[in-house]
Amino acid sequence: MKKSLNCLVIAGVLAAGSAWAGEIRIGATMRMISENGQKYGEMMQDEFAAINESGGINGHTVKLILLNDECKSDKGVANANKFAYQDNVHLIIGSTCSSVSLPIVDVTAQAEVPQIIPHSTNDQITRKNSAWVFRVPISSRYYKGVVSKYLHDKVGDQIAYVYASDAAAMSETQGLIQQMRDVYGVEPVYEAQTQEKEIDFRSHLVTIKDLNPDAIFFGGLQEPIARFLVQSYEVGIPASVVRAAGSAASNAPVPKLAGDAVKGVFFSAAYSDSDDRPIAQLFNSYVRSRYGIKGVDHDFSQAYDLIRIVEIALGNADLSLEDDDLAADRTAIRDAIANVQGYEGLASGPISFCADPTPECRDGNRTPVLIQYLEGGEDFKVGILDRVTMPVEFGL
Amino acid sequence: MIVDFLVVGFSIGLVYAIVALGISLIYSGLDIVHFAHGEFVMFGAFFGLVLVNDSGLNYPISIFLAMIFAGLMGVFVERVFYRRLTSKGGGYTVAGMGMIICGFGMAIILQNVAFLIWGAEGHAIQVDFGTPLKIGTVNLPKSYLWILCVSVTLMAVLHFFLKHTKAGLAIRAVAANKDIAYLMGINVPLMISLIFGLACGLAAVGGVLIGPINYVQVEMGYLILIKAFAAAVVGGFGSLPGAILGGLMVGIFETLGAAYISGSHKDIYAFLLLIAVLVIKPTGLLGQLAKSKA
Repeated sequence: MKKSLNCLVIAGVLAAGSAWAGEIRIGATMRMISENGQKYGEMMQDEFAAINESGGINGHTVKLILLNDECKSDKGVANANKFAYQDNVHLIIGSTCSSVSLPIVDVTAQAEVPQIIPHSTNDQITRKNSAWVFRVPISSRYYKGVVSKYLHDKVGDQIAYVYASDAAAMSETQGLIQQMRDVYGVEPVYEAQTQEKEIDFRSHLVTIKDLNPDAIFFGGLQEPIARFLVQSYEVGIPASVVRAAGSAASNAPVPKLAGDAVKGVFFSAAYSDSDDRPIAQLFNSYVRSRYGIKGVDHDFSQAYDLIRIVEIALGNADLSLEDDDLAADRTAIRDAIANVQGYEGLASGPISFCADPTPECRDGNRTPVLIQYLEGGEDFKVGILDRVTMPVEFGL
Repeated sequence: MIVDFLVVGFSIGLVYAIVALGISLIYSGLDIVHFAHGEFVMFGAFFGLVLVNDSGLNYPISIFLAMIFAGLMGVFVERVFYRRLTSKGGGYTVAGMGMIICGFGMAIILQNVAFLIWGAEGHAIQVDFGTPLKIGTVNLPKSYLWILCVSVTLMAVLHFFLKHTKAGLAIRAVAANKDIAYLMGINVPLMISLIFGLACGLAAVGGVLIGPINYVQVEMGYLILIKAFAAAVVGGFGSLPGAILGGLMVGIFETLGAAYISGSHKDIYAFLLLIAVLVIKPTGLLGQLAKSKA
């Protein structure tokens, strides 16, 4: 009886193993705790389902395992370990937050699984020089270049900086301060990091009001940005003081939450809702009708571009998809992504990768767009101020 | 500039104070620390959000209704979930310890319920307060005036209720000694429910008042709760005037600390104040008065 039970278990395990063979397994870990976050995940599922419906990639179906890391590093690392060692995925997508992507880089490097990043901007991600990491969004090193130039040329040098304690905000703001210091010889008139989950910025803002700067820069996630903007008017900082924010200001909750306080705020991002290219207009109407989103932010476009890049790379990779060849398949996918050159999608500029495990090769997009809010609220409007392609080695 | 900081500190201090009032009220009545109290701040804020944004009611009516709804919710939670523990006593009893754990559990449950209903993202209570008042160089947003007026009114009403009504007298009797209160014919379980309802209603008002400034989101409760706890301890746990004094002190102290020492360590100042007060006066500033609770 015991022997036959053992046989049954072994047969079951083998059956499970053979069910895996022939399908490309992708693990995605993302921040899916907000309405937009859930929609990014939904879009990813829909796009891979559409690929499968149209015959898969080279006849292979794609199995997407989508997990929510809630923007928490411990959950993201747990998800990545599960993908790498339990689900035996061929590719990991993730994460949304830099503070989650950063530790996952170490997991994927050790497990030798290719990792492609949809949203994280912290420049340290690719500075770890992992051979397994690729970034679709724009690195904070490029953002700081375009924002600092605009501030210096068009606004003034008296800048107050406040930033939240998440990895993306810190890298974006500290990089900007350093850039202003190195290139223009300008010191901040005020610099402060807020505490984790801080919601009341008024003590910073009252101090800033007294310093009467040319501009205030706030780095943080979307909700703190909106709070900061509203509170800046509450404490009486006049509209003549320019408000600038990190790339998360691109996310639709910012104008919705901040209302009129968002008017005039500028930021840099990888995509603008007001992009007049036909492909962008088509994408905007697709996202609006399918996901009920009014403002299509760059996290949507970056997730979409990532899927297309993955599709191209998987199509070009020579995969056996046998369990014994997992390591070889992972390497083939990594090399295929590294060979993606000049991908022109929704992003502000072409996305290219190469084989060296350096930021020059792994930061795919280097064309930030400077965007300004013209109207706030649900039906917000944005305008494009500038679009700049940065030198590949910029900020290193 | 100091006046600006005092205005900010005073406004947030008043919010801490009314939340701390609820915490102290429950403690004085039941000898328990209610760790789910922050979630009633959050639920109150969400009630306010729904009433203002979706139902189109004006702000003062929404504050009042949110207070009533959260009060009823507090009564429900106490009757259904806490009653077996609260009826067995608080403090250092097994039931008292169980109540602390139960409070933690309730906080997690309420957070998840709110998450399922409203999601994790922040929401703005859409109240148009108009342009801030300009008094000299000081900008006084009308949202701060609302905080001032509503908080002071509530404190006055609560004081009147506790000191000049029969129900208030009964609550004070229950707070002083439940057994003797029973013997005197007071319906102790009803008074305990009333205490919970009042405390949760106060928490809700704090949520609706801070909602237009800081936004409403699932995690907002515990952020206010830790400061309100600090306020209650600074003032003297169980002392209602102490809760008000503690709230104002914590609000002003943390704002001035953030302004003149470092804004990057704002949360530290409330707890530095707490430690300093406890070292000098372990019962809290008005802790002596807490001998005659409520």
